[in-house]
Amino acid sequence: MMYTILLLLALPLLAIAFTARSRSLEKSYLATLTTGTAHLAATVYLLLTQRNPFAPNMWFGIDPLGSFFLLILSHTFLAVVLYSPGFLQRMQKPEYKPSRRLYYPALNSYLLANTLVIVTQHFSLLWVVLELTTFSLAPLIYFYRSKESLEAVWKYLFLVSLGLVFLLIGILAFGLAAKGAGEHASLLLADLVRDAAQLDPLWVKVGFVFALVGISAKIGLAPMHPADIDATSNAPGPVAALMAGSLRSTAMLVLLRFYEVASNTSVREFSQRLLMIVGAFTLLVAAVYIWRSRDYKRLLAYSSVEHLGIITLSTGVGGAAMLGALLHTLFNSFGKIALFFMAGRINRDLQTREIKSVEGLMQRLPWTGFAFGLAFFYVVGTPPSGFFFSELLMLQGMVHARNWLVLVVFLVLLMIIFIGMSRAVLRMLQSPQRSGAPTSETRERFHVAHAVSFYALAVSVPIAIFRPDFLFGPLRSILVEFGFSL
Amino acid sequence: MTNALSILFCLTLMYLAVTTRLSSYVLILVFQGILVAAVYTVSFFEHFSVTRLVIAGAVLLFRTILIPGYMVKIIRDLDMGHRDRTHRYHPGFLLQISGVIIVALLLSYQFSRLTPVLVIPLGTALAGIFSGGLLIVRRRLLLAHVVGFLIIENGLFLLGVGLKAETPWVIELGAFLDLFVLIFLMGIAMNHLRSHFPEGAGEELTTLRD
Repeated sequence: MMYTILLLLALPLLAIAFTARSRSLEKSYLATLTTGTAHLAATVYLLLTQRNPFAPNMWFGIDPLGSFFLLILSHTFLAVVLYSPGFLQRMQKPEYKPSRRLYYPALNSYLLANTLVIVTQHFSLLWVVLELTTFSLAPLIYFYRSKESLEAVWKYLFLVSLGLVFLLIGILAFGLAAKGAGEHASLLLADLVRDAAQLDPLWVKVGFVFALVGISAKIGLAPMHPADIDATSNAPGPVAALMAGSLRSTAMLVLLRFYEVASNTSVREFSQRLLMIVGAFTLLVAAVYIWRSRDYKRLLAYSSVEHLGIITLSTGVGGAAMLGALLHTLFNSFGKIALFFMAGRINRDLQTREIKSVEGLMQRLPWTGFAFGLAFFYVVGTPPSGFFFSELLMLQGMVHARNWLVLVVFLVLLMIIFIGMSRAVLRMLQSPQRSGAPTSETRERFHVAHAVSFYALAVSVPIAIFRPDFLFGPLRSILVEFGFSL
Repeated sequence: MTNALSILFCLTLMYLAVTTRLSSYVLILVFQGILVAAVYTVSFFEHFSVTRLVIAGAVLLFRTILIPGYMVKIIRDLDMGHRDRTHRYHPGFLLQISGVIIVALLLSYQFSRLTPVLVIPLGTALAGIFSGGLLIVRRRLLLAHVVGFLIIENGLFLLGVGLKAETPWVIELGAFLDLFVLIFLMGIAMNHLRSHFPEGAGEELTTLRD
């Protein structure tokens, strides 16, 4: 068990030190790849054995929820690492030199910071380590050193940090709520859940509201989403994939930690209703902006906002819908890997981010166009993609809970988003190419990014159909922890 | 004593409303740092321990030396010292801050009827949080926004004292380190911002929009 902790925390720390000192990008890549692989191996081991490698009542611990979110993190991280050498190879402009140097240390810092967030069981410590995830991303978002990326990184640092101020107020309110539990009260998750009956409901309510508002900036929930949109759309492809695929999931886990406490108290219904309202509002905002987007990277960023809205809404519904939400979080990370990898390649090869300027993608970049098209069908929930199955579970949960209003709002908004995205993406893929339109390669070669994208899109299908026990076992335990059954 | 120190903190907020000089902002931060450390030490005086002394020392180190020192460096590096008017003085801002302080104290009084809290420090903390937010909205320069953020952070620290929330010292130190790294990163970003956005004003950041 000690080895698991070493692989999860010590190895990324060593990798940060090594890559920060190393001048060779190849060696840094190998160190990061080793770290990513070992991290994934440790995560799979934890999922299979369902053991907590940390001593009980420590500030750190791994529960089923933690091991599930670790899987999302490790898997997305490894995919991004695999794509990184190809990406860096083409970033040869002199102004990118400092960014190339910082790339691997920042990537390893990101892994360490996110792992710390997932394994932390103490709410105050959670706030401290959450800030580290923001710091580790700053140099990655600023990779291109352009005016836009600078503005994006500034807004991201500032607004997310302001959001975390609200989160801290939420934690302080939980601290007040815990005083009702007497002498042994603490801000440890296990203690708060155990003493849920003695927590002051008023302060739990206040704490949950502030936590939701605060963490929204990091998850990308409306109306706190703009900084996240700017950062995701101006970061390089692999970084955007990391943000959309795993960072938002990690932030979602933080919200789930607060929800876990609230759902064991009399505030349960209130928090469920709040999650449904915020989720539906986020979907509405995403629907509006997906129709208005003229930049395909912003369109994809809004698609991420949409999916986090879906996850929040379904978490609020509970039961089968919450199972769907958890699965959706995993499948979202797969889809975002493919979408943002391909968007990065389109941007680099065609030197434009405008939707109307990308024409005849299937002819100009056949592999990229094909993978981008597949990823699009995946994220809009076309069968047999993972999203199709997770959304079916959500619908099942809504019907079971007799939440007809939520069901109608959910379906209508999904339909509007589907049409809005199709309008943009099909135009990019199918519209005829103007003569003389620039393209960097006469014939596109198959790249590791395509292989990783095809794998990411395909892997959700057997998971959704065969429901492997090593994954669904923890998911059922999570539902029980939140007081739901299937 | 805690109440007197808290009222002094409120006075720094009033001064914040009437000054527009960046150097004055830094001075306010230093003074607030001293007050926050003093409030913390006094409130936990009865249960004195070495760890609490360490936290009070860390408050002084980070909030009165490291962060203000770094902000002075940014002002010098970016040559902002001679053009330090972030906005024309506006008496309305003083009225707003005064209103915020009164509302915050009333809110704190209402809280005290629900749960045992220190009324004046809690009200001061809320006033600090609201005033910091107001400064971010009302002032143009990005550096003034950073000052607003730091005032919110000071308010948050007082909030912990006002609510009698005890946080393990390791976590407190971690939070200080976080704050310092954040300000450090913002300082680096500001250095780069000047090459693209010459005035360093918030309204220049409009490149990214739908």
